[in-house]
Amino acid sequence: MAETVVKLRLNQQQLELMDRTIAQGVAPDRVALVRLALREYAAAHKADASR
Amino acid sequence: MSSRQVISEFTLEPGTGKAIELLKGQILRIEQVEGGQCADFNAFNLHDYKEFMHCGRTRTVHGFHPTKGTFMWSAPPRERAMLYILEDTVGRNDVLFPRCSAYVYEASYGFAVHTNCHDIQAEAQREYGLTPDDVHDSFNLFMCTGVDDEGHAFMTRQTTKKGDHVDLLALMDVLAVPNVCGADVMKTSNFALKPLKLTVFAATEADLAQVPKTPVLASQRTPKDFRNPVIKTDRPLRRDPAYRPEFPNTPIVVTDLPIELSSDELAMFNAVKRSDIYGDDDAAAAVAAARGDIRGLIVGEGVIGRASSTGGTGVNETTHRAPRHAQNRTEQGRKAVQRLTSQPGHT
Repeated sequence: MAETVVKLRLNQQQLELMDRTIAQGVAPDRVALVRLALREYAAAHKADASR
Repeated sequence: MSSRQVISEFTLEPGTGKAIELLKGQILRIEQVEGGQCADFNAFNLHDYKEFMHCGRTRTVHGFHPTKGTFMWSAPPRERAMLYILEDTVGRNDVLFPRCSAYVYEASYGFAVHTNCHDIQAEAQREYGLTPDDVHDSFNLFMCTGVDDEGHAFMTRQTTKKGDHVDLLALMDVLAVPNVCGADVMKTSNFALKPLKLTVFAATEADLAQVPKTPVLASQRTPKDFRNPVIKTDRPLRRDPAYRPEFPNTPIVVTDLPIELSSDELAMFNAVKRSDIYGDDDAAAAVAAARGDIRGLIVGEGVIGRASSTGGTGVNETTHRAPRHAQNRTEQGRKAVQRLTSQPGHT
């Protein structure tokens, strides 16, 4: 499966927010959290568009 | 309600205001005598006048027309709930407009002297040693306002009747300062000045039980937390040669976080990317897709924001009857994202 690497640029406060979210068990690591966010956001966007 | 003990009663005559020591657990009722009268209101922490009711903070949490079931908040960095609106028989108040001032009536109507809320507030609180510079924007009770399609605030006549009232429960000891709005040449009070009745009650257990809990957070700072806790007593401003800036969390350090996206994930991303904000690169669409958009959905609107709002301290301000605040926070998130820098990735 072809993969594209995108590079996020996040500051220490944004990373702290990510890490606190990970600590709550939402995702195992930062990369997984980003992927989860993308999937959820895309699904919500699709649902909004279909209304 | 009938079991409340009346502590004091007062009639505010047109053109006047009154500073009232309202202790924690007491209720101030502001009541229409004839109907159709706006009441301007502000309050200070009775033990520290630098803490005062802040319309901006209140507006952010509760919207433009706070009513029964909402709080009056103090300004940052205190940000405490000072009063709770226990009852509101009308449900139409305003925190958009500032208090009217002498300037308004001179500039717009040519009055050398005219009743106005700023000066009435100033004169009322002078009883406690405060100056005209200590008047702050007012919570305008019974005032009917809105925002038009072009973003301009407007006011309309009000429909209040005799006996309509708002009950304000003090959550701390405050100096409460209501006044009869001085605007008789505008729609604010239907083009007439009328008296208002003030009654102070002792709250009952049932009254107190109605108040939702509010957060107690480290960020609600008081003078003991200030680097400079001393109130300045002279007027000119002079640079402190010993000053060294101590801005929190600085320097801001940006770190790259590479994310591998599968073709499916990239398709999702392309479907939601905000190239209208961050721009795009026609020559390398896949690369350009990485320009910042993921950060927006993560930090501003996505899974992290939601997790944060219900975790950690357990504080969620939207529980304070603050639907508009939730909208504002989303908007703030978007704006924050707009300020973020971005950098294309690579394939």
